[in-house]
Amino acid sequence: MKMKMIRESFGIKMGSLILCLAVSVLLFVNLFPFYWVFISSLQPNLEILTGRTRLIPSNITLTNYANLLFETAGVTAFRHYILNSLKVSIAVALLSTLIASVGAYGLSRYQFYGKEFIGRMLLFVYVFPTILIIMPAYDLMAKLRLVDTHLALILIHTTLAAPFCTWLLRSFFDSIPGELEEAAAIDGCSKFKSFLHILVPLAAPGMLTAGIYAMVTSWGEYIFVLVMINSGTKKTVPLALAAYMSHVDIQWGRLLAGSALNVIPILVIFLPLAKIFLKGFLEGALK
Amino acid sequence: MEYSGLKNFSSLFKDEVFRTSVKNSLIWTVGSLALQLIIPLGLALLLNKEFKGGALIKTVILIPWITPVVGVSMMTRWILEPQLGLANKILLTSGFVQQPINFLGSLSRALPTLLVISSWQFIPFGTLLLLAALQTIPVHVYDAIKVDGANSWQTFRYLILPMIGSMLGFVFFLAFVWNFNTFSLIWITTKGGPVNSTMTLPVLIYRRAFKAFNMGEAAAIATMIGLFLVIVGFVFFKYLWRRADY
Repeated sequence: MKMKMIRESFGIKMGSLILCLAVSVLLFVNLFPFYWVFISSLQPNLEILTGRTRLIPSNITLTNYANLLFETAGVTAFRHYILNSLKVSIAVALLSTLIASVGAYGLSRYQFYGKEFIGRMLLFVYVFPTILIIMPAYDLMAKLRLVDTHLALILIHTTLAAPFCTWLLRSFFDSIPGELEEAAAIDGCSKFKSFLHILVPLAAPGMLTAGIYAMVTSWGEYIFVLVMINSGTKKTVPLALAAYMSHVDIQWGRLLAGSALNVIPILVIFLPLAKIFLKGFLEGALK
Repeated sequence: MEYSGLKNFSSLFKDEVFRTSVKNSLIWTVGSLALQLIIPLGLALLLNKEFKGGALIKTVILIPWITPVVGVSMMTRWILEPQLGLANKILLTSGFVQQPINFLGSLSRALPTLLVISSWQFIPFGTLLLLAALQTIPVHVYDAIKVDGANSWQTFRYLILPMIGSMLGFVFFLAFVWNFNTFSLIWITTKGGPVNSTMTLPVLIYRRAFKAFNMGEAAAIATMIGLFLVIVGFVFFKYLWRRADY
C-alpha cells in the first residue's frame, strides 16, 4: 500500500516534470528566435557584420533603428513604408469589418435557399492558393487602371480577409438571441436601427477581432504587394524588407531593425485579443 | 489572345521543372502534414492539464503563427546564415560539424530546412486548436473509462480520438491548405533554388507568370492545381467535416 502511494506520487512528480520540461522547450523554441533577432538589432552594425553578435550584449544601441528610419536609403526612407502599410491595413480593417458585419447579419438573421452552402463557401474559398488568384486579380486591376496604387491593395486585401471575418462574426451574431430584436420591432424599431443599436454593440468584441484579423492580414501580406506595386515610394513594409534582403551585401543591422518594426506592432495589437480571436475561430469552426 | 487548345497542358508534362515541382510539392505537403499533425497532437495531450501560467502560455505560443511571413523569412536567414548565423556558431563550437553548414544554399538541405520553418509557424496554432477540442471532454468521462479498466492507449483510442476527431480533421484541412499554398517563405528565402531544389508548384506559377511572362503555361498549372484542390476540398467538406456538437 505504501509502495503504491510512493509510486503514485512519484508518477505525479514525473508527470509534472515532463510537463514542465515540455513547456520550457516549447516556449524556448517559440520565443528564442524573436529574442535573438531583437537583441541583434540593438547591437552595432559593425559587430553584427563581423560575427560578434552577442546573446547578452554589453552595450545597447538604437543606431540601426535611427539609420533605418531617418536615412534616405534608396528611393525613400523606411518611415514612408511604415506609413504606407498603416494606411493600407487600417483601410482594410475598416472595410472588411463593414462588409463582414453586413454579410454575417444576413447569414445569421435571414432564412434563404443556399444559406448553409454560402456559409461553407466562406471557408472553402481559402482552399484556393492565393497564387491562383494572382493572375486574374492582376488582370482585373490592370483593366481598372489600379495597378501600382494602394487602392488595389486595399481592395485585394479586403477580398482576402472579409470571408474569414464574416465567418467569425456570424458565430458572434448567432450567439445573440433574436428576441432582443423582436422586442425592438414591436416597439417600432426598423431592422436597420436594431442592427445598429442592438447587434453591433453586443457583437463589438467580435467586430474588433475581425477588424484586427483583417489588419494583421494586410500588414503582413507579401505576394499581392509584390505583384501590384512597382514604384519605390508605394511599397509596404514587407516588400521593402524583402527587397533589402535580396541585396548582395545585406545590411543586417538595418534589416534586423526593420523586421522588429514589422513584427512588434502586430504582437502588441494582436496578443491582447488572441483569446477572443481563438474563441471566435473555434466557435466558427466547431459549431 | 490566341486559342491554343491543350498545347499548354501537353507541353507541361514534358517539362522537367514542372515534374520536379510536383515532386517537391508532394514531399513538402506530405512531410509537413506529418509534422504538423503529430507534434501538435502530442503537445496538446501533454498540455491538457491545469497548471500555473497555462493561459499565458496559450497566448504566447500563438506568436509564431501571427508573425508576418517576411519576419519569419528574415529570422530564418539570420539564424541560418552560414558565416554569421547563430545555428552554425553553436554547431561549430560544440564540435558537431567542422565546416559551417549552408542550410539554405545546399541542394539536399534547403527543402527540409524550409519545411521545418514552415511547420514551426503552424505547430503552435494546431496545438491550440486540438487543445481546445481536448478541453471539451469532461473530466468525469476520464474517471469513468479508468474505472472500466482502460489503459492509456485505450483511453486515447476509444475516448480521446473520437471526441477530437472532427477537430483533427479541421487541423488537417488547415495544414493542407497552408502548406500546399506556401509561396512567400520559399520565394523570399531561396526563390525556388538552389537549382530548383525548393521549387514547389506555387513558386513555379509565379516564376512562369511574372518572371518568364508565360501566362499561358502559368494558367495551365494553376488550372490543374485548382481542379485538384477543388476535389480535395469537396471530399473534405462532404465527408470529413462535420460540425461537431460538443
